[in-house]
Amino acid sequence: MKKRAAKKPRSRQKVLRGGRKRVLVVLFVPSVERDGTTPIDQQRWVDASLEMFGRVFGGATAYPKAKGVWRDDERGGALVMDEPVVVHCYTTPADIQDDSNLAALGTFCRKMGRDAHQGEIGLVVGDEYFAIREFGRSR
Amino acid sequence: MKTELDMDKIARGLGAERRGKVAAGGGYFGAMQLLADIQARFRVPSGGGRATDPSWTERRLLPLAPKTLKKLEEISAKVREHGMNVEPMQLAALLIEKTAERLSEEEAEDLVRPKRRASR
Repeated sequence: MKKRAAKKPRSRQKVLRGGRKRVLVVLFVPSVERDGTTPIDQQRWVDASLEMFGRVFGGATAYPKAKGVWRDDERGGALVMDEPVVVHCYTTPADIQDDSNLAALGTFCRKMGRDAHQGEIGLVVGDEYFAIREFGRSR
Repeated sequence: MKTELDMDKIARGLGAERRGKVAAGGGYFGAMQLLADIQARFRVPSGGGRATDPSWTERRLLPLAPKTLKKLEEISAKVREHGMNVEPMQLAALLIEKTAERLSEEEAEDLVRPKRRASR
């Protein structure tokens, strides 16, 4: 008589189906406009991003400001000082690939890019960097 | 566990361009390391603009046949699949640079000399 394989517990199966929040989404909230000098209301955008990540993906963490500098070779090597805030959000593969969630995230990035006069909004999903540059479109 | 994500679908859903692979780590140090990596490679947050070769300081309009542009778009799309971001006209600039380095005066003259018609 054949032995039947023991059924795995339901909760375990759910975990293996990809229910765990194991995809890291990273958003960079800039401190200045694309001219490199005009400050933006960074705190407002950090709060707004946390609200959006909380509502859409269930949570997020904003880290303290980092200090950065880069040389803008397209403007005669001018040094641009920046203090971006990095926001981390862990989500599930299903949630990050959901059309309405992607639309909400994209809409937020475009609004921040447009209102804060950015050249580009940077986003990391998993192990890939995405750039949003066209802010006019609403999806 | 490796996370299988459809990055093209994510890019479409976000209205974003795929720019390349990064080593994203969790926690404060992971966040700072990732930020430094992205600022160094992509120069993102404040300056905007596409990641490019800093030595390309000159800009000119380049007339192209539609089929040439299509070809450049196809090749750059294939390159992007390997995680390296390049736009069609950046690829064109690279090709011009490489070809110009190798091209001799005689070869350049041959290129612009009117072709002789075949004898009738």
